[in-house]
Amino acid sequence: MTLLLDQAASVVDRWRRRREDADTAVTRCEADELLRVDLTVNGRPATVHVAPRVTLADALRDHLGLTGTHLGCEHGVCGLCTVMVDGDAARSCLILACQVDGSEVVTVEGMGTPTDLHPLQESFGAHHALQCGFCTPGQIMSAYDLLSSEPGIEAAELPDRLSGVLCRCTGYRNIVDAVADVADRYPQGVPGPRNCGHAEPRLPRATLGGAGTPATLEAAEAASGPAEIAVPSGEPTAVVTVDTHAEAPIDAIWEIIEDTEALATCLPGAEIIADFGDDQYKGRMRVSLGPVRLAFLGDVKILERDDATHRVKVIGQAADASSGDVAAVVDLTAESRRDGGTDLRAVAELHMVGRIAQFGRGLVNDVSTDMFHQFAANIDAASRGEAPVEAAPASALSIVFTLIRSRIKALVRRITGRN
Amino acid sequence: MKAAPFSYVRPTSPEGVLAELSLAEGEAKIIAGGQSLMPVLAMRLGRPPTLVDISRVPAWQSIDVGTHEVRIGAAVRQRAVERHRDLRVPLLSRALPWIGHREIRSRGTVCGSLAHADPASELPAVMVTLGARLGITGPGGDRELPADEFFRGAMTTALEPGEVLRHVTVPRARRGQGFGFAEMARRHGDFALVGITTMVQTEGDRVVRALLGAFGVADRPRLLDVTETVAEPLRAAEEDGASAAVAEALADAARDLVTTGGDKHASAGYRRRLVRVLGGRELVAAFRDSRKGESR
Repeated sequence: MTLLLDQAASVVDRWRRRREDADTAVTRCEADELLRVDLTVNGRPATVHVAPRVTLADALRDHLGLTGTHLGCEHGVCGLCTVMVDGDAARSCLILACQVDGSEVVTVEGMGTPTDLHPLQESFGAHHALQCGFCTPGQIMSAYDLLSSEPGIEAAELPDRLSGVLCRCTGYRNIVDAVADVADRYPQGVPGPRNCGHAEPRLPRATLGGAGTPATLEAAEAASGPAEIAVPSGEPTAVVTVDTHAEAPIDAIWEIIEDTEALATCLPGAEIIADFGDDQYKGRMRVSLGPVRLAFLGDVKILERDDATHRVKVIGQAADASSGDVAAVVDLTAESRRDGGTDLRAVAELHMVGRIAQFGRGLVNDVSTDMFHQFAANIDAASRGEAPVEAAPASALSIVFTLIRSRIKALVRRITGRN
Repeated sequence: MKAAPFSYVRPTSPEGVLAELSLAEGEAKIIAGGQSLMPVLAMRLGRPPTLVDISRVPAWQSIDVGTHEVRIGAAVRQRAVERHRDLRVPLLSRALPWIGHREIRSRGTVCGSLAHADPASELPAVMVTLGARLGITGPGGDRELPADEFFRGAMTTALEPGEVLRHVTVPRARRGQGFGFAEMARRHGDFALVGITTMVQTEGDRVVRALLGAFGVADRPRLLDVTETVAEPLRAAEEDGASAAVAEALADAARDLVTTGGDKHASAGYRRRLVRVLGGRELVAAFRDSRKGESR
């Protein structure tokens, strides 16, 4: 019998070998080289260029900006980095990125969006199944794998079957309850991911990545045409209100504000690269803050412009290749001052998704405020026919400087009890 | 926790794998599922200059089910074996869910576990108990070794430099055979303090053969033929309390099987006790399992 089996196997082997001859391509990458890896992430094609030792977890987080996948132990114990690979949950810290060429990966970002959560995400919220939230992405992906591969699983089995992901808040009871609730509601199997393969990416652009990221963005053409722009729904990540004033009279200021291209040159790091007419533009913006370097490519549209009240409302939405999406609705009003100058007030609602949202809300406020002061100063200068005070992309240093200055001032105020 | 740099090569044929291994002159490490290797790399406990990925060798990706044997290729993942509906290798099917967690078995391979040869791991003990044969390929050609000759010590196997485990051939259960499996660990997914594998073969109510295997108790999986010791107590196994009587009879076997000293997780005495208690229980379970066909 063994002989027969052996014979059968050798026939199969020979047949396979023949087939392989046509395709004996050996994939090879030296330790200090980058290997191109094409895969599908959340239903969209993605490409990364990685050194052999880079894990799938790091490729997702650092190359594709999908930081929903968390890293805990980085050696396969805690389960926080669990993602779906070709339909099965696996630990992305124990998989080399170069091993998943051609694979389909689903991360927690693919499960749902803030406005359209997956039932598991919904249930985790409803059952208070997250305390610090650090293990949640792993829990959700592991639970999704369990409920989709073994629908109708008994609630009593859940604790054991969910034990592949650790929760250091030890909030296991609520996690099990949340999963049991979903298992109960979907005895035929839990619904699939909700944010996979959307034509309009609501998340970082997964096709960018690797060593060439900034260059790729740099080369991005305006040819992509005007994007659909909509006022984001949901609570803004931050609302920033800034008051400042310019020395120039309101008419001169308004002239600059009306001229979008002139206005853009006043915004540190910004540049208009295409005018689609109808008050819609494509633009680039670079922000650098200490070690942080963000490069946004996005769309801007003037929603309202009122000459009588000197008010303009602008919406912009942009994505940074690796850090996330940001959308802003800015309401800018100019008012004449008694001394002949102009008061400027901006109210900006900022919506952020991805790594940039982790930036720290206080810092976002500070940075936005500083940028607006600089913006206002530039408008003032432009109205006098002068060049912007600060050359555009070099704004970083000055922003950092003033930031530190204002922080120190605030600190001194707190210490001395003055207000 | 980032691995030290290494180069990576992914051949698509067995010949290609051997060629890459010979190029690297014994310095290369094979990666398939990587579930044991990746933590080692991450902790920089190992710094192989080259990884040879065998997971895309089509000749090694299949489970071939024959009449009496099942052959599992080197690139077959544990979860694929777990999902296979007509393996008829009950001991393997019982043991698989105990390997790490589901997320680990999604990627980990059966042959990878065997080649890694962790003394506390399930599959080597299963293969030794079943008398599986390990197919090896190397520069000198192909060879085959019975499982009990393959495991040479903690994480040490009979594989020579340049050789690869290409498949394992596992006998399927025959009529009159019954199996038992048990494991004690602090938590599910932890390394076993003690694991037990049993096989009992009966003809009518006569015990023809009884095997007691144990892992986590020595530097490699251990197996004892306990037919003479437990044949009598097992015949009484239809009654309650039989497993206690079997466990009683296993005192010498437990002393023989457990050669590891105690550690902070469990003393040698506790491990011997586990071998007796779990061994007794699983021998009775295997005995009953072996007679299921009779009563039907």
